[in-house]
Amino acid sequence: MLAGKGFRKVYNLTGGIKAWKKEVAVGPEETGLHLFTREESPEEAVVIGFGLEMGLRDFYLSMQSKVSLETTKVLFGKLADIEILHQQRLVDLYREITGTSLTMTEFAGKIAEPALEGGLTTEEYLQLYAVDVDSEIEVLGLAMAIEAQALDLYLRAAERSDKQATKQVLLQIAEEERSHIARLSSYIDHQQELV
Amino acid sequence: MKWMQFFTPVSSINWEEALQFAEQKPDGEVIFLDVRQPKEYNHGHLPGAKLLPLGDLDSRSAELGKDKPIVIY
Repeated sequence: MLAGKGFRKVYNLTGGIKAWKKEVAVGPEETGLHLFTREESPEEAVVIGFGLEMGLRDFYLSMQSKVSLETTKVLFGKLADIEILHQQRLVDLYREITGTSLTMTEFAGKIAEPALEGGLTTEEYLQLYAVDVDSEIEVLGLAMAIEAQALDLYLRAAERSDKQATKQVLLQIAEEERSHIARLSSYIDHQQELV
Repeated sequence: MKWMQFFTPVSSINWEEALQFAEQKPDGEVIFLDVRQPKEYNHGHLPGAKLLPLGDLDSRSAELGKDKPIVIY
């Protein structure tokens, strides 16, 4: 149909989504978009991203305090620490855009309320993925799913943004999420080799 | 012209090629188009995919850029 309407570069995905072997995102197309107005500046988009990373770190830390098994306690701690690196990356991005250097604490002060990455709530994630929090692989799987939701959210927010510069920043953050997924993926592969 | 759709070839790509596409063109250049029903989309979709159910495709095709690569599923 599209090809007949003059769309020149249309490709069918062989086997459809069932053939897709990478992470998928879930939820309606509007999921998490309430966090974005479509009109925010690039700086504001970075601040929203920082709030999402903060929310995810809080989530991992709260999970860390809830689990009893030492190995998963350590793992949740590691995942929480990784979020600091992600936050730092956004602070760097903010500096690149604005020329203003802020400390992590100053940056955190800009966040009205941390939200969880991907736009779902903690309870929604836990219900959705029904994770055995004593299983390292399942915890890592949850982390991957959250990163995939985040990638999905930033791409959708970029698509809707009315400002070209903000669109570019959101796509840049989306690429960061893609690299987080790749790193987690290789970590999981390594874990599975050890089993 | 409606008959054109029967004669215009559409390529197929596998999931690995589609992933490469997304990674090589990270500037939002590629559109992943989900033409299934909203419930199916909600259940699981490619990250960043645009939902445009097949039944609406004809009337809403203007939402898509004609020059952008579109991977459809």
